[in-house]
Amino acid sequence: MSKTDDTQTPTTAGTRTGTGTDRTSIRVDDPIMEIRNASVTFDMERGESRVLDDVSLDIERDEILGIVGESGSGKSMFASALLDAVVNPGILSGEVTYRPRGDAEVDVLGLSPEELRELRWEEISMVFQGAQSSFNPTITIRAHFEETIEAHNYNMEQAMAHARELLSDLYMDPDRVLDSYPHELSGGMQQRTLIALSLVLEPNVLVMDEPTAALDLLMQRSILSLLEDLQEKYDLSIVFITHDLPLVAGLADRLAVMYAFEFVEVGPAGDLIGNPTHPYTRSLLKAVPNLDTPLAEMRPIDGMAPDPVDVPQGCSYHPRCPLADETCRAEDPAYHSVSPDHQSACFHWEDSAEAIPLSTGGDERGGGDGEMRAFAGNQSDEPVVSLENVDVHFDQVADGGLLSVFQEPDTVHAVDDISLDVYENDVVTLVGESGCGKTTLGKAVIGAQRPTDGTVAYRGQDIWEAKDSRRGADIPYEHIRRSLQMIHQDPGSSLNPNRKVQASLEAPLKRWEPDMDPDDRQERILSLLEYVGMSPPGDYAQRYPHQLSGGEKQRVALIRALLMNPDVILADEAVSALDVSLRVEVMDLMLELQDLFDTSYVFISHNLSNARYFSGKAGGRIGVMYLGELVEIGPAEQIINDPQHPYTKVLRWSTADLDIEETVEDPPLRGIDIPDPVDPPSGCRFHTRCPEAREACTREQPTLGGHGDGTEHETACFREYDESHEYWDSEPVVEDDADATADDESGSWGHANE
Amino acid sequence: MGTVKRTEETDDRPPASLEETIADGGTIAGDEASADTPFGTVSSGTMSRRDRYEMLVNEWVVAPFKILWSDWRARVGSLIILAYVLMGTVGVRVVDPPRVGEGDRLVSPFEDLSHPLGTDNMGNDIFAQIVHATPPMLEMIVAGAVFTTVMAVVVGTLSGYKGGRTDQLLMTFNDILMTIPGLPLVIVIAVILEPRSPWLVGVIITVNAWAGLARAIRSQVLTLREESYVEASRLMGISTPQIVMKDIMPGLMPYILVNFVNSARSVIFASVGLYFLGILPFTELNWGVMMNLSYETGGALYTWETAHWLLAPMITIVILSFGLILFSQGTDRVFNPRVRARHTSAADPEEGDDDMSGEVATHIRG
Repeated sequence: MSKTDDTQTPTTAGTRTGTGTDRTSIRVDDPIMEIRNASVTFDMERGESRVLDDVSLDIERDEILGIVGESGSGKSMFASALLDAVVNPGILSGEVTYRPRGDAEVDVLGLSPEELRELRWEEISMVFQGAQSSFNPTITIRAHFEETIEAHNYNMEQAMAHARELLSDLYMDPDRVLDSYPHELSGGMQQRTLIALSLVLEPNVLVMDEPTAALDLLMQRSILSLLEDLQEKYDLSIVFITHDLPLVAGLADRLAVMYAFEFVEVGPAGDLIGNPTHPYTRSLLKAVPNLDTPLAEMRPIDGMAPDPVDVPQGCSYHPRCPLADETCRAEDPAYHSVSPDHQSACFHWEDSAEAIPLSTGGDERGGGDGEMRAFAGNQSDEPVVSLENVDVHFDQVADGGLLSVFQEPDTVHAVDDISLDVYENDVVTLVGESGCGKTTLGKAVIGAQRPTDGTVAYRGQDIWEAKDSRRGADIPYEHIRRSLQMIHQDPGSSLNPNRKVQASLEAPLKRWEPDMDPDDRQERILSLLEYVGMSPPGDYAQRYPHQLSGGEKQRVALIRALLMNPDVILADEAVSALDVSLRVEVMDLMLELQDLFDTSYVFISHNLSNARYFSGKAGGRIGVMYLGELVEIGPAEQIINDPQHPYTKVLRWSTADLDIEETVEDPPLRGIDIPDPVDPPSGCRFHTRCPEAREACTREQPTLGGHGDGTEHETACFREYDESHEYWDSEPVVEDDADATADDESGSWGHANE
Repeated sequence: MGTVKRTEETDDRPPASLEETIADGGTIAGDEASADTPFGTVSSGTMSRRDRYEMLVNEWVVAPFKILWSDWRARVGSLIILAYVLMGTVGVRVVDPPRVGEGDRLVSPFEDLSHPLGTDNMGNDIFAQIVHATPPMLEMIVAGAVFTTVMAVVVGTLSGYKGGRTDQLLMTFNDILMTIPGLPLVIVIAVILEPRSPWLVGVIITVNAWAGLARAIRSQVLTLREESYVEASRLMGISTPQIVMKDIMPGLMPYILVNFVNSARSVIFASVGLYFLGILPFTELNWGVMMNLSYETGGALYTWETAHWLLAPMITIVILSFGLILFSQGTDRVFNPRVRARHTSAADPEEGDDDMSGEVATHIRG
């Protein structure tokens, strides 16, 4: 172990030669784990790939350490390194020391396989992303617990009692959960169960790798607040790895920002958010869509993260950094102490605040062209697409084999009685939890999903009538089909993996303009590729999808939709799968192209910050959906700043802010799990979770326009009705209302709020 | 691609037809897309027909061949298959057909240069028999493999992609075929039809062998059709046959090819087996017939003197089957876009292989 006082001065900063720089200055008083000079390398055809580059970090006892980085920055590798679980053929070097209470020291990398097995789970345990794939679908949750306990020779009874305690700490009914099979639990419950499972052997350190990435915002926030309680109750040290900076900002005690396989800035959460000194941290903070920053302040980070085989010489961030100078290009910066426990690996940490201003201030970021366009939607009077009382119901086939023929199929009410108009140059963003029917409604808008009831009209022509009758329609179906396009959520499957970009983009042109000269076709594709920033376009056109990054794939999908020259594009979570720093860029591009091509967007998102950015910048609307119903719709800024419906308020709560003062508090709702859409609650569907629910809500359903004061902002809640409505006289719904929780998942926040 | 000549956007050509179509539709007023937007660009350079054909050949012939050649299994496999094809085409012209009594009876192999593999009990040259049995054998293999694959692909994709009533009908028929035991069915058909043409024999042997493959392909289509890019194609109004050809089939091709080669192997075994059992009428020379005769009249199983008569056709079959297996293992690489990407760029001298950067990195990033 080296001494604490070295490398505090720039003089000891070494250049990246051989084993690299000495960056051992990040220390804490009472570390539970110490990582020194950990590197992970993979031998590849193209050279040695360094996916963890000489990383040193301490984890303090009983702290929550947030590790933030974009995908491919090496954060998962760091988690694997902590447990000496780097997959073959990766080679881990360096030191990882675990210090249980007392003076004991365990050299994790020197353990025998048997000792390592004991260390994992009993001392250090890990929660992975994607709970579904972490469970064995063929055995019950109880069997998972028992298997774990047995494998580590713990006392079964005591351990199971502990498991029950953990499950109830996580607001689940232990008996019900233990007897379930994994698929019987919702995603949020699975993730909570996984956390309980990882804690059942009472480890001291819990490593969580994107534990909430697959969940809804609401569930994410709920789990985070539970984590804080757990951490206090069981004296855990938690390493929380995520790409979502705002998410951990309120939770973590310390934050470490990773870029290009090393930590560029480490410090107490408040310091790091309030006074970030590394240019990357600052740019990242600006790039993350959130609810507070003025829209004009948000900027994508230029350039791309480096390739692990070919990390730039000197400071790895210099190609993207506005402050980079000769020193940065030549030398790898050591950590500079901003304050005793806040370190930043940048030569220019003192100047970064000036160069990259975070809060308001007109001065432009260095290197940026400063062009900031407001994309005002000039909406038409006549709607392009108009939905009237649209219902979409799905019959859920019961898995009873032959006998199911005699059963009445369960009907899922994916969309229930929604009317919505989309105008020219309009932006409508649909927000809601997963399973609320956003995608189904979106597909109904573009005529990809036939409604069970109600009409969908394109410029006055009923789409499905046009399709069925073929002739006789005012606007032929072919034309309608062409005018309504879609961009899918998953960049991985939005392009045919077997076709080159060029072939994928030629398909719509060949279909709709068969007479077009092949050279013109080629030229048009190339110029569009260039326009969206993929240059050289000739090179990109000849690539297969696997040679593109996620952002590039989404751009190609966007071009493909635009080549049809559509009137409405449905963008189904089009940016959700992208890295945070890319989201703003892609959304900007979409809006810029809207200006050029005169299209409208129906943008679907589960994330209120993205919705705010996208709709807000275009002067569009946000519609909030809950269980197949539109509960509130209005101009973006109004929905964000002045939400009326209790559910919108909940969503607003769940969207993490960069505000460090705000701790994760209990949510303003009574149950965290969504009722079953097969059997939605009577009356107002939100009444089972609504903190404002009264008797009237259980009987009668509020409507969107019924109480209108003439503005665009409409809310389906009795609280918006005037005082003569019976809501104001009826009794609040009691907490233990049997009806409210009958179909509900077992989890209830009731006790938490009391 | 280096063959594409293009210049920067020019204003001197009329705007591309897209704006005209917009005007036709009458939905968007004005011609807002002027020449400086990406939509207005027109090419002024031309790519000759020849260039385009060259590109196609490069992509569909040269590149797949290179990929195949880069894999040793496919290389060995295709050489073996090529040798058999040569034997069936050139060989039959070079080697005289076997005649009774052209040599002594039961000459051992490698003894007499004029009878390299020896002779049978009638003095027929065994090598000549093997060579002259090759063309009907190859015809049978091709007929059987093509029939199986085409039936399975057509039924499987149609029923998987269309779904609903079509799916139900086709799958019911398919399931019936699957439940009929294959061998007795083939025997009955063979007895009734007494097929003589090798093409017909090939089809009869595989008469219900395609049903299993069709089901497997259907289930693959069921997953592929839910992919976003297939939905995108549907929304673009692209016709169903086009979607099946361009979006569905390429994903199935590795599977189909491997099964094509496997069914070729099963045709060999089945036909040889049936000839050996004497169920199919002997009209022409066949490896199975040779084995049958060596066993029935030569007692090749019991004496070393006639063993070569049995072993020669047997080894011929084993080598061909081995070649087909190697070939099929090599072919699945041809349709792998990752491998393709490397080879199409390598086939083009003007393009470096620098476009690979970043791709491999994604494998290892968590």
